[in-house]
Amino acid sequence: MDAFTQIFGFAFQYLDSAAYLILAALGLSIIFGMMGVINMAHGELMMIGAYITAFCMYGGIPAPIAILLAGVGAGIAGMILERLIIRHFYKQLLSSLVVTWGLSMFISQVFLIMFGPNMPSLPTPFSDIKILVGGEVGFALVGAEGFARVTGETGRMPPGVESFGIYRLVMFAVAVLMVVAVWLLLRKTEFGARARATMDNPTMANALGISTPRIYAYTFGLGSALAGIAGGLFALTSAITPYFGAAYTARAFITVVVGGAAGVINGLVASVAALGGVQTILSNLFSVYIGFVGMIAAAFLILLVMPTGISGYMEKLRGRSR
Amino acid sequence: MTGRADETTPVNSHAKIPFGFLRLVEGPQTMGRGWPFWTGFAIVILLAFLAPTYFGIRPYRVNEFIVSGFLAASLSILWGYAGILSLGQAAFFGVGGYVFGIIGINLFDATGNTHLALAGGILAPTVFAAFVGAIMFFARLKGVYIAILMLVLSLLLETFMLQTADPEVYRIGEALLGGANGLRPASDIPSVAFGWGEAVAEINGRREGFYYFALTLLIVVYLALRMLLNSSFGYLLVAVREDPDRTETFGYDVRLIQLAVFCLSAALAGLAGSLDTARINRVDPELVFSVSANIMVVIWVAVGGRKDLTTAILGAITLEWLYLWLTTSGSPEYATLVMGGILVAAMLIAPEGVFVWIGNRLGRLFGRSRTPAAKAGEAHQ
Repeated sequence: MDAFTQIFGFAFQYLDSAAYLILAALGLSIIFGMMGVINMAHGELMMIGAYITAFCMYGGIPAPIAILLAGVGAGIAGMILERLIIRHFYKQLLSSLVVTWGLSMFISQVFLIMFGPNMPSLPTPFSDIKILVGGEVGFALVGAEGFARVTGETGRMPPGVESFGIYRLVMFAVAVLMVVAVWLLLRKTEFGARARATMDNPTMANALGISTPRIYAYTFGLGSALAGIAGGLFALTSAITPYFGAAYTARAFITVVVGGAAGVINGLVASVAALGGVQTILSNLFSVYIGFVGMIAAAFLILLVMPTGISGYMEKLRGRSR
Repeated sequence: MTGRADETTPVNSHAKIPFGFLRLVEGPQTMGRGWPFWTGFAIVILLAFLAPTYFGIRPYRVNEFIVSGFLAASLSILWGYAGILSLGQAAFFGVGGYVFGIIGINLFDATGNTHLALAGGILAPTVFAAFVGAIMFFARLKGVYIAILMLVLSLLLETFMLQTADPEVYRIGEALLGGANGLRPASDIPSVAFGWGEAVAEINGRREGFYYFALTLLIVVYLALRMLLNSSFGYLLVAVREDPDRTETFGYDVRLIQLAVFCLSAALAGLAGSLDTARINRVDPELVFSVSANIMVVIWVAVGGRKDLTTAILGAITLEWLYLWLTTSGSPEYATLVMGGILVAAMLIAPEGVFVWIGNRLGRLFGRSRTPAAKAGEAHQ
């Protein structure tokens, strides 16, 4: 493996793990940043998104539309949960943690009982297009035919050549698009202005005529919808089970906490850049397990230095220099 | 003597009756006092001791509930009294269970007892908690972060233990960590045994002996904790829960108090873990470190009533009973579903706990009102 292959492989993995963290954490970070509620059922909202995507695609609906429908479905589910249960726990951080944990257990059991322990898996889109890197191939984007030509009769890659699936890059692109969309929504629209006002000072926002309960419900719905879309995207690459979401909740939470609540979007981006880097480097050098442990250790160290997360720290620095 | 007189002059009234020692185990930090409570307590204990002989309960099943009682007590003092929620309380349970098993496998043949194994099963989680707690509390991490970090810690332990199947690498003396299969050789994991030489009493975890032993131990631990909670240390815990800043202003180091209760809680969880390993001669990662192991502890304590020791333990025993009944008469899937539903419903309808609600009703029936300390609303962060 030459240096170019190595660097490309590293960059690819970095983008992959960054996409994974952004998608898993974006919805959670909005809900945490706006309402201060840690939603332990976040992974289950992703799971709902994955199931909706799966059912739509079994019915012949193309993947992009299925994933959008997953977002809509999870958003509605989230708003129902918010109205029925979560709104009673806004001022009680620890109780909201416990009640949403109970919800996550309840929801995944309902899906287990209704649909059984696993669903037929979905085909990964673009799986026949690959990026080949290294050896005499150099750098090439090839379809199924080109891939067959390179692998030849042996069915194996020539030495020094590595292949990378393109769907991972698509996921990263979608993740970036989602971040930009959320940023525009919060910065440039009237809803965004109302939401940020509610976040800064709910009492004052309420006095100015903003219906804060409605803002909370919509924000929770938005966070859930983002979770549903993420679940739909992940559904195309992994097995779909009722416990699908549990794997993401812990990582998403760590990413959100490191990002901090002061600036939802820039905190998240900084946190993903840092944690994704640590995870990629350590996973490459040692093992996936060490990568995960290292990510948690890094999160812990960051929290020791900046107890309010990266965005809170930046805010403090800015305040000092002013 | 009436209940009213009791309330206005508690010290004198107790001095007159022959139960003066009750002063030590009752106070504003624990529910239940005076003759109505202790009479009921005595009746329940008596019935519990008679149960295997006269009511045909099967110790093999019921022993598990008693072990849960210790674990519930450990979370109650941490979360209910000191206001530190840990979503990973089973981590200490698991560490205790593994250490008990590892020491037991290695030393049982030589010593014939499990004194050291039990001591290790309690000490190891305590030391572990002292280490983790020192970092968390001295960094003044927020309560939510501590709650989730503990869960992550437990899941990390699970992931680590799952990949320890290689007998060449993961071996401690005679004991093999054994990956997903759990500690091996399982047949060498001892039951609890006390005594030296010839006079050794080994207590089979599946029989009545263990039931009487664990029940007695639970009562002793329960009474000792009641004494502790009604001492000045107990008041400090509640002070830290209600207002850490003010406690600090009074000159107490909140971080040390938090660390102390964290270690105590880990020791209790370790005791529970050791007893559980001894009970079934088995310990595996899924049993002790998984999400479901951790969430069950929170469910018992939240549904029973976290701010009182008695209600937390009662919550554990009744919910374990219910869970077993649902599993055997229905299916495990429905049992888990019902547990999740009960937690959500209890948090909405009786946020202070079902048994606290019942206890308040009973208290009113006997003309006593609940103490304000336990009534005070949540004051986290």
